[in-house]
Amino acid sequence: MRAWLLLLGGMLVWTIHFFVLYGLGSLFGTTPTARIGTLLVTLACLAANLAILVTCMRIARTADRESVLGWPARLGAPVAVLSIVSVAWQAFPALFT
Amino acid sequence: MNASRTSGAVPPAASVSETGFDPTLFDRFPTSGERPEGELGELEHVWRAPRGWGLLTVVNNNYVGIFYVGAAFLFFLLAGILALVMRVQLALPLNGVLPQETYNQFFTMHGTVMMFLFAVPAVEALGVLLLPQMLAARDLPFPRLSAYAFWAYLVGGLAFFASIFVGLAPNGGWFMYPPLTSTAYSPGINADFWLLGIGFIEISAIAGAIEIIVGVLKTRAPGMSLDKMPIFAWAMLVFAGMIIIAFPAVIFGTLALELERALNWPFFDPTRGGDPLLWQHLFWFFGHPEVYIIFLPAAGLVSMMVAALSRTPLVGYRLVVLALVATAFISFGVWAHHMFAVGMPRLSVGFFSAASMAVSVPAGIQVFAWIATLSVGRPRYQTPTLFLVGGLVTFVLGGLTGVMVAMVPFDWQVHDSYFIVAHLHYVLIGGMVFPMFAGFYYWTPMMSRRPLSERLGKWVFWLMFAGMQVTFLPMHLTGFMGMPRRVYTYLPGRDWEITNMISTVGAFMLAAGILIFLVDLIRNFRFAAEGNAGNVYGGGTLEWLPTGLYSTRSIPLVTSREPLWDRPGLSREVEEGRYFLPGSATGNRETIITSPLRAEPQYLQIMPGPSVWPLLSAIFTAGFFLLLTVQAYLVGVVSGLVAIWCMIRWLWETDRPVRPPTADIGAGIEVPTYVTGPSTHGWWAMVVLQIVIGMIFLMAAFSYLYLYGVHTSFWTAPPAPSWLALLLPLYGAGMGLAWLARVLLARRRSTLWSPATALLFGAASLLTGFVLDCLSWRWSGLDPEASGQGATVYGLLAIQGFVTGVAVLIALYVAARNSRGLVTRPRNNSFDLAVLFLIYTGAQGVLGAALVRLFPGAV
Repeated sequence: MRAWLLLLGGMLVWTIHFFVLYGLGSLFGTTPTARIGTLLVTLACLAANLAILVTCMRIARTADRESVLGWPARLGAPVAVLSIVSVAWQAFPALFT
Repeated sequence: MNASRTSGAVPPAASVSETGFDPTLFDRFPTSGERPEGELGELEHVWRAPRGWGLLTVVNNNYVGIFYVGAAFLFFLLAGILALVMRVQLALPLNGVLPQETYNQFFTMHGTVMMFLFAVPAVEALGVLLLPQMLAARDLPFPRLSAYAFWAYLVGGLAFFASIFVGLAPNGGWFMYPPLTSTAYSPGINADFWLLGIGFIEISAIAGAIEIIVGVLKTRAPGMSLDKMPIFAWAMLVFAGMIIIAFPAVIFGTLALELERALNWPFFDPTRGGDPLLWQHLFWFFGHPEVYIIFLPAAGLVSMMVAALSRTPLVGYRLVVLALVATAFISFGVWAHHMFAVGMPRLSVGFFSAASMAVSVPAGIQVFAWIATLSVGRPRYQTPTLFLVGGLVTFVLGGLTGVMVAMVPFDWQVHDSYFIVAHLHYVLIGGMVFPMFAGFYYWTPMMSRRPLSERLGKWVFWLMFAGMQVTFLPMHLTGFMGMPRRVYTYLPGRDWEITNMISTVGAFMLAAGILIFLVDLIRNFRFAAEGNAGNVYGGGTLEWLPTGLYSTRSIPLVTSREPLWDRPGLSREVEEGRYFLPGSATGNRETIITSPLRAEPQYLQIMPGPSVWPLLSAIFTAGFFLLLTVQAYLVGVVSGLVAIWCMIRWLWETDRPVRPPTADIGAGIEVPTYVTGPSTHGWWAMVVLQIVIGMIFLMAAFSYLYLYGVHTSFWTAPPAPSWLALLLPLYGAGMGLAWLARVLLARRRSTLWSPATALLFGAASLLTGFVLDCLSWRWSGLDPEASGQGATVYGLLAIQGFVTGVAVLIALYVAARNSRGLVTRPRNNSFDLAVLFLIYTGAQGVLGAALVRLFPGAV
C-alpha cells in the first residue's frame, strides 16, 4: 500500500483539490467565500504535495535500485511535481480573475 | 508452502522482497538438463482448443481475443458505412438521400457504435489478445469471464445494431440528452434500445476491465516488476482503472433515464424537482474520460511499436508511465467542459477550463517521448511506422484544437458546430484509429501464418491519411462558417457547399483505404496460434516469444524491459523449457500468480477450461435486456432467471482445490496450488467489483445531493431519524453475521453447517433491513413519481435492493456448495468472497439509509 501511495500520492492530492474546488464553486458560486476557500485548500494541497515530494526524493536517494519502494518513489517524485503545477494552475481562476 | 521457505535460504533484506520470497532463487534459471519426455505433449493436450461447433465454448485468449478484435472491427465497418451514407446526404444542399428521421438514427448509431461497440471493445479485445503473451502468462486469470464479456458484447451489439433495419434505432444523439429523449419527445422504444442496450454492453466492458486489472497485477511473469512492465500493460491497467470509475456514471444515468421513461420517476424533469443537467453531469463524467479510455491503450500500443520500429528503447519510460497515470486522474476533472454553454457558475467554469488545459500536459509528454524515440533510433518507415507518424500528426492537430475549445469564449463561438466534429475526429482517429491500424500491421505476424502486405499497406495508409485530412480539415472551416452539427441538410447559398463536398470526397478516400485493408486481410491473414509468421519487426518484448495455445512453453524470468533484445538466447531457452512451469505441474490448466509490485511467485492458479456456460449466460443476459426493451416483460424475466442459472452452473465447476497442495513450478521452487485471502486473484476481482458498485452508489448519492441543491422547494421531510435505530442494527447484524461465519469456518470445533447458517442469517438480516428501509419511505408518503427527491431516494433503494438480492443469492449459492461438501475448511475462496460481498452490502445499506434521513433532515 505504501508503494502505491508514493506512486499515486500526488495525483490523489490533485483529485481532492479539484473536487473540493468544484464543491466550493457549486455551493458558494463566484463569491469571496469561494475564493478564500480555494486559497486555503490550495495551500493545504501544495503542502501535502511538497511532503510527498520530499518523502519520495528521500526514499529514491537512499533506496536500493531493486528495492520495493525504490521505483515507486522515483516515479512518485515527478508525479508530485506535476501535481504541484496542476494544483496551482487549477486555483488561478479563483485567485487571479 | 512458501517458495523462500522451501529453498531453505535466508530471506534477504525486506526492502528487496515484497512477499518474503527469496530473489536469489531466480539465480537457478535458466535450468539445465534434459526435460522429461512427453512434458510438452501434455502441455499441448491440456491447453488444446475445441474444434468445430465446440469453438463456441473456447476460452483460450488466442481465440477469444481474435474473435473479439474481429467483432470490434465489424462494428467499425458498420458504423463507417453509416458515416458514408451521411456524407452522401450532406454533399449537396437539400439532398434527399436520407429523410430527417433516418438521418437522426444514422448519426446517433454512428456515434454510439463507434464509441461503445468499436473503440472501447477494440482496445479491450487487444488486451485479451496481447496481454497474456506480453506478460508471459498462460492466460488472463478469468478466461471464462473474457468469453462471457465477448459473447455478451457480440450478441448485445448485433441485436442493438439490428434496430436500425426496422426503424427503431435510437435517434437522440450518442449523448441522449433529456428532455429530447424523455417520453414526451421520444415516445417510441428507440431511446429504450439505447438505454438498455448500452447499459448491457457496459456490463461486458466492466467484466473485461476486471479481468485486465487482475491480469496485469497478478499474472505477470516472475521478475517483471512494475518498472519492467511493457508500457502497453501499464496503459491497459490505467484504462481498466478508468473504466471502473467512469462507467458507473453512465450505468446509473441510463438506469435513471429508463426509470423515468418506464415508471415516470422524474430524475430529469424540472417541473417535478428533477433536472436535465443532471443527465449531462452523469453522462460527461463518463463521456470525457471515455476519450482517454480510448486514447490511452492506443498510446500504449504506440509506445510499444515506436520503440520496436525505431530499434531503440522507448525514451522516457518513467515519464510515459507518469503521463498515463496523470492523464487518467486529470481527465476526471474535465467533464463539464462539454457544458460551458449551459450557464454554470463562473468560478466552476474557470476550474473546468483550467483542468481541460492541464490535461494536455501529460498528453504532450507522451508525444515528445515518441518524437524523441523516433529521433534517437533508426526507424524503418514500414506501414506501421507510417501509421504511427500519421497518427501522431493528426492527434497533435486535434489536441491543439482541444486546447482551443478549453478556452471558454472560443468554445461558446464554436459550440455545437462542425468545428467540434472536426476536433473530435482528429483526436479519435489520430489518437486511436491510426495507432490501431499500425497495431494490426505490427502484431498480425504474431497470430497469422503470413504478415500483411507492405505494398498494400502503404496504399492503405496514404489513402486513409489523405482521406482523413481531406474529410475533416475543411470541417473546421464549415464550423467557423456557422454550420451546426446534427442537421440532415442545409439551404444553398450559405457557402457550405464546397467544404461539404470536399469532406464527402475525403470520406470516400478514407473508405477506399479501409477497403484495400480488407483485401489485404483476405489475401494474407491466416489465423494460427502456432506456426505464425513471427517477429517480423524485431520487437523486444515477450509476445514475440514462440507460442502455442498454452502461451510460452516455459514462463521466462524477466530481468529487463526488452528481454528479447537483452538476452538473445531467451527464445530458445524458453522453448527448451528452461524457465518456470515448463509443463503442467498438476495436469490442469494453470498459471503462476505473482505479487503486484515485484512479480514474486505466490501460488499456482488452476484455470478453467472450455465451457458452454459463459456463452449461454451471455445469450440469456442479452435476452433479458432486449426483451425488456421490446416490453416483453414476462419472457424477459424468464430469460434473466435462466441467465442466473447458467452463471451458477458456470461457477459451480470452479474453486476446487487440487492434489497435491503444492507444486514445483521449476528449479525446485514449490508454491501452493490453493490459496485464500487478500493475495488471491479472486479477492482482487471482488474488491474491484465492489468499487464499481460503490461508484454506482456514489453517482446516485451525487444525484440526490445535486437535485436537493437545485430544486429544494420540492423536498419533503424524510421518515423520522429514529428509523435508523432499527435499520442500522439490522445492516450491522448482517455484516457481523457474515464475519462470524468466516470465523466459524476456521474453527475446528464448529459443525460444518454453522458457518453457512450464519451466512444465511446474515443475508436475511440484510434483506430485512432493506425491506424495512423501503417501507419506512412508503409509510412517509413519499412517492417516486412525485419529485426528484422521490426518484433519487427510490433510485438509491433500487440499487440497495439489487445488491441485497445478489447477496442473498450468493449466500444461498455458498450454502448449496456447503451441502455438497464443496466448501473446504478452514478456508475457502467462495466463502471468503461471499463474506466480503455481504459486508459491502451492509456498509452500503448503512450509508444510504443515513444519507437520505440525515441530509437535509438533520442539517
